Amino acid sequence: MRVFEMKASLLSVAVLGALAAMFAAPVMAADPTEDEVAVIRRPTNFVEIGAENTGRSSAKFGEYNGLKKAGGDAIVNFSLKGGDAYQGGDGVTRWSVSGTDLGTTSREATVSVSQQGKWSLGVGYDELRHNISDTYQTPYQGSAGGNVFTLPSVFTGANAASTKALSSGQLGAFSNVDIGSTRKNTSLTAGVNLTPQWDLKLEYNHLEQFGAKLMAFAADTRSGAAKGAAESVSILPNPTNYKTDTVNLALNWAGEKNHLTASYFGSYFRDGFSQVDWQTYQVATGKTAGVNMNTMTTAPGNDFHQFSLMGGYFLAAKTKLAGGISYSRNTQNDAFVDSMQNAPATLGATAGFGNLPATSLNGVVVSTHADLKLTDQSIKDLSLSAGLKYDKRDNQTPSNIYSFYSFSGNQALYPNAPLSTKKLQVELAADYKIDKAQNVRVAFNHDDTSRWCGQYAVLANTGTTTITGFPAGTNCVVATGAKEDKLATTYRFKASEDLNLSAGYSYAKRKSDFDIYARPPIISTNGSIFNAAGVVVGSLIKGQNASDYIGFHPYLDEDRKEQILKGSVNWQANEKLALGVTARYTDDVYDTTYGWKDGNQWSLNLDASYAVSDTESLSGYVTQQSRKRNRTDLRNIPGVTSTSATTLTTVLYGTDSGTLKDTDTTIGLAFKKAGLMGGKLELVGDLSYSLGKTDYGTTLNWAGTSSTGATCSAPTILACGDLPTVKNTLTQFKLTGTYNVDKASKIAVGYLFQQLKSDDYFYNTAQYGYTPSTVLPTNQQSGSYTVNVISASYIYSFK
Amino acid sequence: MKYLRKLLALCVLATAMGTGTAVIAADAPAKLVVKAEKKDLILKGDAKCTGCHDEADEPSGKATMLELNPGVLAIATTRHGVKGDSRTPTCVNCHGDSEKHVGHKGSGKPPGPDRSFRKGTVTPAAVRNEACLTCHKGGNRTRWEGSQHAVNDVACTSCHKVHSERDKVREKKAQTEICFTCHKSERAQTHRVSTHPLDAGKMACSDCHNLHGSAGPKLLKKNTVNETCWTCHAEKRGPFLFEHRPAVEDCTNCHTPHGSNLTPLLKSRPPFMCQECHDGSHQSATPVGPAAAGYQAGLSTTISVNANIAGRACMNCHVMVHGTNSPAGGYLQR
Repeated sequence: MRVFEMKASLLSVAVLGALAAMFAAPVMAADPTEDEVAVIRRPTNFVEIGAENTGRSSAKFGEYNGLKKAGGDAIVNFSLKGGDAYQGGDGVTRWSVSGTDLGTTSREATVSVSQQGKWSLGVGYDELRHNISDTYQTPYQGSAGGNVFTLPSVFTGANAASTKALSSGQLGAFSNVDIGSTRKNTSLTAGVNLTPQWDLKLEYNHLEQFGAKLMAFAADTRSGAAKGAAESVSILPNPTNYKTDTVNLALNWAGEKNHLTASYFGSYFRDGFSQVDWQTYQVATGKTAGVNMNTMTTAPGNDFHQFSLMGGYFLAAKTKLAGGISYSRNTQNDAFVDSMQNAPATLGATAGFGNLPATSLNGVVVSTHADLKLTDQSIKDLSLSAGLKYDKRDNQTPSNIYSFYSFSGNQALYPNAPLSTKKLQVELAADYKIDKAQNVRVAFNHDDTSRWCGQYAVLANTGTTTITGFPAGTNCVVATGAKEDKLATTYRFKASEDLNLSAGYSYAKRKSDFDIYARPPIISTNGSIFNAAGVVVGSLIKGQNASDYIGFHPYLDEDRKEQILKGSVNWQANEKLALGVTARYTDDVYDTTYGWKDGNQWSLNLDASYAVSDTESLSGYVTQQSRKRNRTDLRNIPGVTSTSATTLTTVLYGTDSGTLKDTDTTIGLAFKKAGLMGGKLELVGDLSYSLGKTDYGTTLNWAGTSSTGATCSAPTILACGDLPTVKNTLTQFKLTGTYNVDKASKIAVGYLFQQLKSDDYFYNTAQYGYTPSTVLPTNQQSGSYTVNVISASYIYSFK
Repeated sequence: MKYLRKLLALCVLATAMGTGTAVIAADAPAKLVVKAEKKDLILKGDAKCTGCHDEADEPSGKATMLELNPGVLAIATTRHGVKGDSRTPTCVNCHGDSEKHVGHKGSGKPPGPDRSFRKGTVTPAAVRNEACLTCHKGGNRTRWEGSQHAVNDVACTSCHKVHSERDKVREKKAQTEICFTCHKSERAQTHRVSTHPLDAGKMACSDCHNLHGSAGPKLLKKNTVNETCWTCHAEKRGPFLFEHRPAVEDCTNCHTPHGSNLTPLLKSRPPFMCQECHDGSHQSATPVGPAAAGYQAGLSTTISVNANIAGRACMNCHVMVHGTNSPAGGYLQR
């Protein structure tokens, strides 16, 4: 709607041609089409100005569209082009200036000039406001986008950890803060053709992001005299004060049979803040009220340099070898931030920041990549390809033992685990053309993944059952590797000029390697505790990987068999009617004792389009998608023998099962009707409807009861059963009318209706008076809205 | 109205010719004079084609060629229409010499050119693509051969319009319209409540994907998923002191980039998402049922919902799920 171009109609060409013919008859007699062509050669320019009015304020509706809160926005769009390259002579200069959505915070503008075949230069500016919430409220003092948040005096020390209710004075301290972030990107592009074979291209982007996104900030328990309450949570605007500079430089060479590109990609990220400080709103019982400042770190600055070389070589007319290599170096060495949770380096030693093993990470990750693919079509009706890919992430960051306190006040001693990975992929494929109408493709893929830590700090057993040792030679990752083989076949059949069918099936099997004695850093209370000699000195829960029980594997590591079935039919029923059906079904079976057991997902899409006439068309689609997964987990809570009114008695090695299900329906309808009002009016309508549902259900596989005899489904327990469905219904209707005032002028009038009905329990805990006892409410809403937008603009087009 | 406009156009032209082309009228019809001259209109040597593919009547006389194929001469407004650039192709560079097509005589429909790019053409995609790749080789197209689009018979002109001033697939706001012609699932996903700003026209598919073939998965521009995501989300690149393995290996372990029912682009909602990998840690050992919905769901008024399962759940405390540089961040809490 906002971008509209006017093509030279037959009539306009005819009129121009006729005028030229009448007034320049002798010339036209020799070359009657020259002026017509001159008109065709000229680029289409346009300027659009207007206004739009949004009926109701909604951050969710205005999430990305740049519209203000309720009220008016200006519509300003334009595109101007020129240069002697459009004149049909020997000129090669082209320039363009354009602006899009300049009246909103989604504005964009570009300027470019080039001498085609010689050089090009462009400058761009792109802005995007991301609105997140306009209902958020907080008693904290400090701006969204800032990094210090303090509480008014009505909060200081007034709330004990168990406090759920807020006093009227505290409620009165809440005020509304709009949450969102803005990105502004300035770009520069340049290119130069050094010779017919060589060219150099540069792209530079300077991205600034500022504002805030909501994040939970949980309190520290170790604040000296003013000790905070454990795990009391404030949802605060976490600042995004980022600057990222990106450089892409590529030198291309293209010969008759070969081509080669050498390039550099650099990305340099900087965060304006190194930490966020805030006061906790709850203090531990018996502690002194006062300033309880906590510290959260922010994203550290980092640099990424990547050098790449890629190219292709035709071994024969239809045989090509193509591939590339790249070397990347990602570094990060921002100074560590002091935190009250930093603990003594060893048990019993003096606490303090100075006891850290290093003052910064000196993080280095070297990534290498290589790929090579041979494709051959020299055999009649047969296409073959063989490919190899290799990716290695070599994390050379030093590993040390870091001591810190958990929120509960326990000391932890863990090494950082600089994870390295390696992946080798092999692909073989054959494509055979059975006849003119039929084609079959068979492909085999093999993936081999490895994980390790190049270095992993050693910590001898401390002799306490709360601190785990990390003997030399310990693996930092449980799933040390995985291999997956996949065989896929696709059959395509062109039954007639108007009917195309395809069907495909694939089978994949993944097998992981596990080291059940590995000790990832957050091993906590899992696994047996070994001394330096490898002798078990502590007997905790048997398990692995950050406290997972033996038999449980993260879903991404589980052994898996996956089958995929897919198909499509596209039928051009006649000149006017086209129909299409696509379907895909995926079935996963996991071979594991606990964790995901199985899952499936499918999608079905129906498309139809009908060209009623040259001026009238209809189209529509329906897409149904579903995803379902089933899991069974072990609930092994040793030593749990007591019961209470709100806690179920659990049995050792009892299990529970869960089902996660997503169902999505999307419908789209569109129509176009031109030629109204004597050919001057065109109407375009677009209706879309999306219904998304997510369901979670839990079943306990033991007969648990509380002290009152209540079972898991009792209102006071609710540990089993279904959660309320997360349901989002989005309806959008757009209607645009464009009236041609004359050949150059148009008036566009638009109407947009958009409605979101959102039911999401995520926001329940954000409401006053009904929160978990340790989360400060924020009044965040799910974002339901009904919005009407009207717009009107004048478009002037010219060549 | 269409026929009225055509009639008007013809009348205007005829009138103009009648008043200003007496010399031509005395010798021969204007149309034949133009054909006889065979002067290039747009490209060098295009007279061979534009002698017919201009405004001259098509053989059946039912419509003009320009009406049947209005885009032919519009190539003049594109980079392929710049005669001053020595690299600019001529008609036959792409369509072939097409001798049978050119030499056709009679009133019937002529055979197609050697290479036809029309919808439903019998020219194989590989043959059509050869016309483009002869010049557009290397660079982003280095890995075209054997790529997903290539093996599925997607031709350059399946997405690109060559004879048009507007090539929608190269416009950020319009590109999805082209890609979604085939990628229906992704089209549906972008209508969900949590998306990248694709529908708002602030992102295009090609911001993440190299549709011409790549070394990455799913035709991603970079070698890996994460390298691609970190192009914009550089704050999540690290390396961090304490890393979170799923985030280091593949962002799509937790996120679904085209759209989700769960903000922000999540594949599942905590605590369930976390429990897909963590089974034994403190509160995750507690089965999570409807209590996670909190009081507002009207399910319970007598118990205090645990903050570890409600709202942000695990991420009320373990907020640094992408990694942290805090020495006190071993539990991803700081």
